[in-house]
Amino acid sequence: MMRRFLLAISIAAIPAVAAAQSGATAGRSPDWIAIGMFLAIVIATLAITYRSAGSTKSKAGFYTAGHAITPLQNGFAIAGDFLSAAAFLGISALVYANGFDGLLYAIGFLTGWPIVLFLMSERMRNLGSYTFSDAAAFRLERTPVRLVAATGSLVVVLFYLIAQMIGAGKVIQLLFGVDYIFAVVGVGLLMIIYVTVGGMQATTWVQITKAALLLCGGTLMAIVVLWHYDFSLAKLFAAATTVHPKGTAILAPGGLFAEPVSAISLGLALVFGTAGLPHILMRFFTVKDAASARRSVFYATSCVAYFCLVIPMLGFGAAAILMADPSYFNVGASGQFNKITDLIGGPNMASIHLAHAMGGPVLLGFISAVAFATILAVVAGLTLAGASAVSHDIYGQVIAKGSASDAREVWISKAAAIAIGIVAVALAYAFENQNVAFMAGLALSVAASCNFPVLAMAIFWRGTTTRGAVAGGLAGLIASVLLVVLSKTVWVAVFHFSAAPFPYDNPALFSMPLAFAFTWLFSVTDRSARADRERRAFDTQFVQSETGIVLPLTEPTLVRAA
Amino acid sequence: MGHTPEATRRILADPKFQSLASGRARLRWGLSILTLVMFFGFVALISTARGALAATVTGTAIPIGLVLAFAMIVLVVALTGIYVLQSNARFDDLNGAVTREFGQ
Repeated sequence: MMRRFLLAISIAAIPAVAAAQSGATAGRSPDWIAIGMFLAIVIATLAITYRSAGSTKSKAGFYTAGHAITPLQNGFAIAGDFLSAAAFLGISALVYANGFDGLLYAIGFLTGWPIVLFLMSERMRNLGSYTFSDAAAFRLERTPVRLVAATGSLVVVLFYLIAQMIGAGKVIQLLFGVDYIFAVVGVGLLMIIYVTVGGMQATTWVQITKAALLLCGGTLMAIVVLWHYDFSLAKLFAAATTVHPKGTAILAPGGLFAEPVSAISLGLALVFGTAGLPHILMRFFTVKDAASARRSVFYATSCVAYFCLVIPMLGFGAAAILMADPSYFNVGASGQFNKITDLIGGPNMASIHLAHAMGGPVLLGFISAVAFATILAVVAGLTLAGASAVSHDIYGQVIAKGSASDAREVWISKAAAIAIGIVAVALAYAFENQNVAFMAGLALSVAASCNFPVLAMAIFWRGTTTRGAVAGGLAGLIASVLLVVLSKTVWVAVFHFSAAPFPYDNPALFSMPLAFAFTWLFSVTDRSARADRERRAFDTQFVQSETGIVLPLTEPTLVRAA
Repeated sequence: MGHTPEATRRILADPKFQSLASGRARLRWGLSILTLVMFFGFVALISTARGALAATVTGTAIPIGLVLAFAMIVLVVALTGIYVLQSNARFDDLNGAVTREFGQ
């Protein structure tokens, strides 16, 4: 029945998208190569989804593709989940506009990965089955800990999703000349289809396809750029510094990490936020054991690192090639233009314009399609993570106390995916012209200040109790949201107050230690019998987290006097 | 307090498990600290010694900061590689032995 539904949707959707494209191409001639490649990606991903439709009947099939993904596949899928359009278009734009500083941002993103590998991947896989809350609530009380972890997950997912959807709408609008609303609805519809029809199996393969396309596309562009400069980095840098308004300053650190408090705060959010992203942590359950989880992070790290090497080439290449050519800019009546802000479509389009400059409409079409695939894979992963927080943590474990049938839980999850998709589309539409730069940063800060501390304390520190974990998680969540609201990016840019009470852009330096301190304080002062039980259960959790051997948490029948 | 289940206590007392847990802890925390020192050291260097990083490597037009940044990327992959290789070589067999002895 699902398959028939999917076919009907795909047949209905394709002409609608095509019609929207041919209808609204103001300011830009219809680019049939780009549209063709875009349709090829839509059809390929729908075919993947169609083939995966049978895998979503059981809970394990729907949430984790039956734990049957191989480490290499999972590594690519993790990279596909992580390398968003913000990473591809955003970091190359940062390099285009600021040079070296953009590269620093990429390094921050990358440095989260060893931490994920060393601290999270194996223990997560040994302790949990479906969501990271499984590991956080392993020996703690189910209801409060899962509620806090699920809230943290949903906040991260929603903010990340809205930021991605708005970015997606803008990019698609620019690439294909589709109206913003059609673009956002189209992306929302596709991600709902992937998740509800194909579950984790389809989401994984969409992510693998995207990662392969992104790495191929990036490599191709980098080779073309380097070829243009005789494979000499020195020539490329010389060309970029000659035409860039900031000159040779783009080869040295600029403003991004100049102020130490902001630098450390951003660094903490980038490094530890990655280790608290629910859609990333969820991917460890798609492989069969802890050793496979570990290997998949190595493959993912290699992909992300390779991407970090390639992306500066695109940024510097775009600066060197585009800035010398006024046809890529909105040139004012006086013939003057700003080489950064007046780039047609904004600096985020630097890589896209570069593709056109280097390879004409064919390369432009290909790279546009890659950017589109990038968006699809990330939003699908986020939607699945959000849906499982609702269905597995809130419904399955808290409301039904673990006694819900597989079919019921999967049904709830699909309904949740549709609801999350609709909410994300509605909010992306409502916030179209708002300044949403804070949203992705907020998502990472909440991940670093709520999800990561709760999880790390629960799996590494014997003393953690339910009371401590809940207090710490809530403190981190509330502090990070509050400090972002009081910072310049929201207080001044969104609410238009004159000065921000919180002087830094990123709250992680304050909110993350606060979460750890609260967890510690409310745990050590917890003298309840429950707290004693939870501390004692650490031994069994420790054995399982190290070896994967499943043991009873407490002696089932024998209760000895102390 | 004596409430820890018998099965857990037997594994905790097993020498193979102990060497697995302590070896992995040393590797895990050692590499984590190294990674964090490396990254935040780099951040500190940038916010304190910007001028020095702008100087070019002798004989080329490529600044030192850029070389360090690319070196960081390679080092991150090397660190994860070390962890995975060490785990594959040392811990998977130990883990297998413990699991065979105590697992269901």
